[in-house]
Amino acid sequence: MNRQDLKTIIYAEKAKVENNKYKHKIGVCCGAGCISSGSEEVLKKLQEEVTTRGLDHDVEIIPTGCMGPCNQGPLMKYLPDHTIYQKVDCSNIAAIVQSQIIDKKPIEHLLLFADTREKPFRDAREDPFFKSQLKIVLRNCGQLNPERIEDFLVHDGYQALDKTLCEMSPEDVIAEIKHSRLRGRGGAGYPTGLKWETVYKYVNDQKYVICNGDEGDPGAFMDRSVLEGNPHRVLEGMAIAGYAIGATKGYAYIRGEYPLAIKRFETAIKQARKMGLLGTDILGSNFSFDVEVRIGAGAFVCGEETALIASIEGKRGTPRPRPPFPAEFGLWGKPTLINNVETFASISPIIINGGEWYSEIGTPKSAGTKVFALAGKINYSGLIEVPMGTSLREIVFDIGGGMQGGGEFKAAQTGGPSGGCIPAGHLDVKMDYEALTNLGSIMGSGGLIIMDQTSDMVDVARFFMEFCMDESCGKCLPCRVGTKMMCDLLQKICDNRATQIDLDRLEELAIYVKETSLCGLGGSAPNPLLSTLRHFRNEYQNRLIRHEQKDQIEVPSNIQV
Amino acid sequence: MNKLTIYIDDKQFQAEPGKSILEVCREHDIEILTMCHLKGVNDVGACRLCLVEIEGMSKLLSACTTKITANMVIHTKTERIKKYQRITTELFFAERNHVCAVCVANGTCELQDLGYKVGMDHIRYPFLFPKCEVDTSHPWYVMDQNRCIMCTRCVRVCNEVEGAHNWDVKNRGYQVRIISDFDTPWGESITCTSCGKCLQACPTGALWPKAIVQGQMKKNPEIIDELMERRKMIL
Repeated sequence: MNRQDLKTIIYAEKAKVENNKYKHKIGVCCGAGCISSGSEEVLKKLQEEVTTRGLDHDVEIIPTGCMGPCNQGPLMKYLPDHTIYQKVDCSNIAAIVQSQIIDKKPIEHLLLFADTREKPFRDAREDPFFKSQLKIVLRNCGQLNPERIEDFLVHDGYQALDKTLCEMSPEDVIAEIKHSRLRGRGGAGYPTGLKWETVYKYVNDQKYVICNGDEGDPGAFMDRSVLEGNPHRVLEGMAIAGYAIGATKGYAYIRGEYPLAIKRFETAIKQARKMGLLGTDILGSNFSFDVEVRIGAGAFVCGEETALIASIEGKRGTPRPRPPFPAEFGLWGKPTLINNVETFASISPIIINGGEWYSEIGTPKSAGTKVFALAGKINYSGLIEVPMGTSLREIVFDIGGGMQGGGEFKAAQTGGPSGGCIPAGHLDVKMDYEALTNLGSIMGSGGLIIMDQTSDMVDVARFFMEFCMDESCGKCLPCRVGTKMMCDLLQKICDNRATQIDLDRLEELAIYVKETSLCGLGGSAPNPLLSTLRHFRNEYQNRLIRHEQKDQIEVPSNIQV
Repeated sequence: MNKLTIYIDDKQFQAEPGKSILEVCREHDIEILTMCHLKGVNDVGACRLCLVEIEGMSKLLSACTTKITANMVIHTKTERIKKYQRITTELFFAERNHVCAVCVANGTCELQDLGYKVGMDHIRYPFLFPKCEVDTSHPWYVMDQNRCIMCTRCVRVCNEVEGAHNWDVKNRGYQVRIISDFDTPWGESITCTSCGKCLQACPTGALWPKAIVQGQMKKNPEIIDELMERRKMIL
């Protein structure tokens, strides 16, 4: 297919939408979150209801990707008015169809956030949950059917690829990405343009593009939602990256725990191949690119780039020391570009709207938007996207709707097991890479867990340490044994069996493991511990056995003193 | 070939490009402690004993896997590195069940030597006392997981030198174990050629020939490198 054919398809598809024979369009969220609360039954029941009423020719029903407020699911959206119904179940579908389609007025008490807001908004975009957000990566999630490439084409899909292939040289693309100041969304925040340029400069007959979709942080589901809600966007980003660095082959490494994301991404690949948007001679430009899916087998460490490469090569998924970096010596020894799902999903808007536009969003050092998986003790949890530099207070109290049950905000955990916590005193922190690092936390991939006064910070540290201990690959000693030792010591503190000596030893070990581990897993495993120690040291101190209490310790009867 | 100038512990050295920091240090008799390094097979940088400080780098890098670059300033004996070497050694001992008094390698054990070198008089961490298997199914050799430090030297020798790939690693985290084939008893392995190179490669008493007792193990790990050098000459 050449450029003209693509235009023809898009025109035809747009014309179809404009002369829509349907008067109404209803989207039912079919992200993994809503499916688990029963949205597939809702979709089926809705279809039946519409058929029984003979409205088949008036109402179009589509399954969509994630809409955002995941804990209110299953969600159903009347697309023309952006009216969202929450917690829809099969019993109230008839009423919704009657009221929304036939009587043309929404049912107030079923609207999104109707149970917690005094007056719910008919147009969900007016609701503070959505109003404070800026959706770039998630823009079309929840608007289109992720399993139809035509839906994506109507929403400017593959326009950025078309633009790069026909109007831009690889250098132009890299310059545009550099200009946008986009930073890698996988966690470390390495400038994407710089990474692309590095790989571009290595001369080799074969280079690779890898999309890292091995999202393993507990409580994080950004990449899953993007892959499920708009897989073509990621595919387009990968193809643009391939063109920019001179690669002809891409791999998408998606964790096996995301069967729906894998299915939709594979469907997207098939559709794109069929349309000639992947394969040889894409859009008549002599550029060839193809993508294959590789499924992760459940190891957290395979999110680390060198372990991920080993896993794709069919080896045991363990990291190797860097340098050499994958940009020089990557998959099968060839120069390889690895970016996160969210990074690739940010590429096409940058190409279409220009790097300048993107760089103006966010803070001077961290441009653009960031997707967070908001969870924990707040009223509205789910998937949100905000400009960099949005304050934590805004996220928790405006978007998240405040603390659950009127609780008191204690801390927010960012970056999962590699991150740290932000205490209440820093609620006004502007969320970007630097600000979070200064607080002893990290941006990470975007997990954001809100905790209230009932959370025990020592237990939080113990939980994440146990996670890292389980997920350590066992290759290097500091991570393999150090995490186990730290986990045991933390358990000892949790059980009120520890003394000051144990705490000192724990701190020494934490810094040792952080500085000596081979890869990022061990290097960041002590972060939750160090961060909770920094902000909540008294919680640790209060648990220790003090010297004057030593006579009160109960000695188990089977131990002789 | 143009030599590169590097600085190790405030002394200037000339070295060929492409060499690792460890190789240069060994050439000039600068002591770097190692455990997973074995001359003749590829380095993996797993034991973290050979970490060095390099000026301009925020991270500590393993000397065995880091190649020298021009004007590199390396410090190998800072207080921080000494402290970490001591912790690493203690963790090695605390991880499995190392009892020198009953071990065949007593006297020839690299882990034992390491303990002396870093001046380890006691271990500050609680022993993990894992339950480990002893595999005596092979007619000539024994594999004792209690004494294994997971340096994977046997795995690499078997794969890279002998080409048999009998040894591999299973599980993860502190539960990793060396396995024969797909976790079958060593005696039933269909890949093992019984060449015995892994016994020479092992730094501790985890692999040893039957019919010897405490302290009788003779080791010659250099044989692996000699073998590789001779092969190069033939080629």
